[in-house]
Amino acid sequence: MLSLITRRLLTAIPTLLVIILASFFLMRLAPGGPFDGERPLDPATQAALQQVYGLDRPLWEQAWLYISRLVQGDFGPSLVYRDFTVSELIAQGLPISLTLGGLAILLALMTGVTAGLLAAVRAGKAADKAIMMLATVATALPTFVTGPALALLFGLWLGLLPVSGTGNGVAWLIMPVVALALPVSGAIAKLTRAGLASVLKQDHIRTARARGVPETRILFRHGLRPALVPVASYLGPAAAGLLTGAVVVETVFGLPGLGRYFVQGALNRDYPLVLGVVTLYAALIILFNLFADLIYGWLDPRMREG
Amino acid sequence: MLKRHIPLFLVLVIVALALLLPSLLPWGYDQIDWDAVRAPAVSGSHIFGTDEIGRDRLARLAAGTRVTLMVAIAAALVSLLVGIAWGATAGWIGGRVDEAMMRIVDGLYALPFMFIVILLMVVFGRSILLVFVGIGLVEWLTMARVIRGQVMALKQRPFILAAEAAGTPSITIMLRHILPNVAGVALAYLMLTVPQVVMVESFLSFLGLGVQEPLTSLGILVKEGADDMDMTPLGLLLPGGLLVLILVCLTIEGERLRDRFS
Repeated sequence: MLSLITRRLLTAIPTLLVIILASFFLMRLAPGGPFDGERPLDPATQAALQQVYGLDRPLWEQAWLYISRLVQGDFGPSLVYRDFTVSELIAQGLPISLTLGGLAILLALMTGVTAGLLAAVRAGKAADKAIMMLATVATALPTFVTGPALALLFGLWLGLLPVSGTGNGVAWLIMPVVALALPVSGAIAKLTRAGLASVLKQDHIRTARARGVPETRILFRHGLRPALVPVASYLGPAAAGLLTGAVVVETVFGLPGLGRYFVQGALNRDYPLVLGVVTLYAALIILFNLFADLIYGWLDPRMREG
Repeated sequence: MLKRHIPLFLVLVIVALALLLPSLLPWGYDQIDWDAVRAPAVSGSHIFGTDEIGRDRLARLAAGTRVTLMVAIAAALVSLLVGIAWGATAGWIGGRVDEAMMRIVDGLYALPFMFIVILLMVVFGRSILLVFVGIGLVEWLTMARVIRGQVMALKQRPFILAAEAAGTPSITIMLRHILPNVAGVALAYLMLTVPQVVMVESFLSFLGLGVQEPLTSLGILVKEGADDMDMTPLGLLLPGGLLVLILVCLTIEGERLRDRFS
């Protein structure tokens, strides 16, 4: 297991490098620059600014400089939020994005696995069909529709929850997390249902039933664990989806998370900010995929890599 | 039989309305009715009323649906072509080539691809062509995996072996014998790709990075509605509801097709 972790972490380095370089050069192909404001700056100021941030050097040199600083944990200064370094902005935004994403995946796992379990137990009956229908609808609910719709219903009409910002204890988390979790929980419910249905047909389950093992024990001891393998392999893509969903949710509910910095940074040509966020997202997704693989191996020992 | 295909029927109705309504309605989607700004539903010639600058909601809904579906179909076709080409090549050649090609797919799966697409949109302006290509490039991965699996299974079948033994060139086997046999599965996954693409397109448009004014799409309409929902909730509920309806119907039909072919 340790060798798997080291191997995966080592292969993550070139992957990260490719992502950083691709984003770096993509950004620089864009017309316009970070210092194009409402009023054009005079050429001398423009040139001085370019020089301070090293933007006048050859591109490959800038790329090299960026990466050598990144290795030391320095994401560089933000070009638009002048008084902040990218690290400071990330330190502000990351906890919010991680809280949203983490709570959303927990909620999705709890509701999704429970719903899938209930459906599988009642396979073929009306309850099964109803739950699966709901799950299909849930997977088709885009965050940018459910977010505003929830805000309209619970925020504006019923006045129960705050529509934007991070005040008021933890109430502000409810709607963003629910909007994020809904499509993921639908997908998890379907995977759990399908996984359990195929596991429950297998011989060892029949043996257990013949021996008179109680049904709940069969379900939880023997059925659920192998049935969750497809769910584990879905966790990686789900994490990537949650991170993109978080961009929308942060915009809709006015939360100062990373996603907003990313979109704003891209529009303002704030090169270091965008690169920093992309690097961080890529690293998070790679880490989460590794984590999902470990769960995968734990659930099904046959899948463990040498 | 009929009841089973309500989703498909609904989609067809929506498509027909999106195609026909613009030429039937008295108002264009970007035409401003100065006498009826923020008109409530069922007022005069505006069935669903008008938005905050006096444009007919129904006309905008039809135009937006048309753009969204057009982008979706085009991008899904891009993903189909790339996915089939990639998956069939990997599956047919097999061995090291297959392994390398599939490693690339696995790697791409794990990337924050959406962010690269957002970067692309910012960098190259927001041409509608780029929206197709960008989305198509994200969505081909699943198709490639599925097609590869199908081709690998087919390769072992006697009729393919026979064709090979008879000296039929690979390219002919591919076009004449393999592709027709993966067409059903490809169609099912194409149908499942369309809602994915609709979601990505609306997502980009929602952030202001997709389709640009004066063109409109369901994503833009949802965004406009969300910004104005405290005044007129209808502006959010109509395009949002329509979008969800399209997504749900397409997903149900796509999954049904997939289950039939696998």
